[in-house]
Amino acid sequence: MGQYWAWLDAYGAAYLEAAAWTLAIAVLSFLAALIWGAVLFFLRLNAGRWAERGVDAYVQVLRNTPVLLPIYLIYFGFPLFGVLWPAAVCGGVALVLQNGAYICEIFRGGFKAIDRVQHDAAMSLGLLPWTHFRKVTLPQMLVHSIPALGNQAVLLLKDTSLLSAITVVELTMQSKVLTERTGTAYAPFLVAAAFYLAMVWALEVLTQLAHRSVRWR
Amino acid sequence: MEMTLFDLWVLTRAASISLLLALASIAFGTALALLLTPLAFAPWRLARILYRLYVFVVRGTPVLLLALLVFYALAAYWGRISPYAAGVVVLTLYLGALFAEVFRGGVLAIPRPLWDLSKSLGLPRLSILRRVVSPLVARYTLPPYLNVCVMAVKASSVLSIISVWELTFASREIIERTLDVYRVLGVAALLYFLMCFAIDRLGRRLEARLAAKGFAGERL
Repeated sequence: MGQYWAWLDAYGAAYLEAAAWTLAIAVLSFLAALIWGAVLFFLRLNAGRWAERGVDAYVQVLRNTPVLLPIYLIYFGFPLFGVLWPAAVCGGVALVLQNGAYICEIFRGGFKAIDRVQHDAAMSLGLLPWTHFRKVTLPQMLVHSIPALGNQAVLLLKDTSLLSAITVVELTMQSKVLTERTGTAYAPFLVAAAFYLAMVWALEVLTQLAHRSVRWR
Repeated sequence: MEMTLFDLWVLTRAASISLLLALASIAFGTALALLLTPLAFAPWRLARILYRLYVFVVRGTPVLLLALLVFYALAAYWGRISPYAAGVVVLTLYLGALFAEVFRGGVLAIPRPLWDLSKSLGLPRLSILRRVVSPLVARYTLPPYLNVCVMAVKASSVLSIISVWELTFASREIIERTLDVYRVLGVAALLYFLMCFAIDRLGRRLEARLAAKGFAGERL
């Protein structure tokens, strides 16, 4: 038992710091991706046929390529233009770009799930289009989207591990460093996995609570 | 420095390795899932708990962490192992969980009366599985199954970090040599897109073909 306490004493702080980085990157990226996804969704909905095609192309390309590509694109590509961002920012922006595409699709699915009849009902009630959207469509769309958004948040959290490829010291990088430094075979990875699982579990519970609290009965 | 025609050839070769890795893990992953899914419906509570635990752990940890874990752990116990083998093992473990969930969804989507009906016909359990459940599950789960196949191609890029030479690794190599970031990554993105898009198209084709034979299952 003593060895575990010694281990916690030696590396506990390093893990906590790394977990904080993972969580901070995930939360900030997810919030930004929500905004970016909403922007894409509104562009697709309201800005004409070319905007629709443009957004669709963007979404298709980012959905069908691995996240590591935008990460490398920003991390290796932007310095060529003299844009020198910290690695965590480069990775975060890449995560926002990709997850925005997914979230745009999630909003689209939520929007499509709403019955067309409501549109006619709102017209006959004399609601302005904007009022109709804000008061009727938007709340339902958001409620429909909650489970998928929770799922996407989990995916994003896991994808933050890829930032270890561009030198960000988050959970995965930290556990790799500790593995190599201490010469243990894999124990540090198990600790990191426990951190990820705890976060994923918390996210799942949170999603369920959120969905339950707003669902119509 | 610009990337050369030779680099382009290297990238297409690397893409074929990515595709092979993905296809091999899809095959093994499907086999693993076929073993896992029955656990979810087993009459023993322990089996169901084990299934849930496996799916939760594998889906809740990043693929990269799984890859590092397997690569380092195998290396510690077996000595030097091929990163390609480790890569296929990791993707198989990962895809096995995803496919198993897809199949489980397919089994759950079978309407309840159909179970009772096949039982009342006196079909043996194995026949129910073979003649009623399997064809229905195959049809219900084709779209989400192919979705996971696309994820397999994308997940194979993560293996570059455990030194598997595939498309992402090759791109990074060429970038570090030529600094032609945008063109190299553009080509890599195009190649990944083509692979994923091809799987998607193939799936639509298969679906249309099943529909033409009167197997138009509702989408999950």
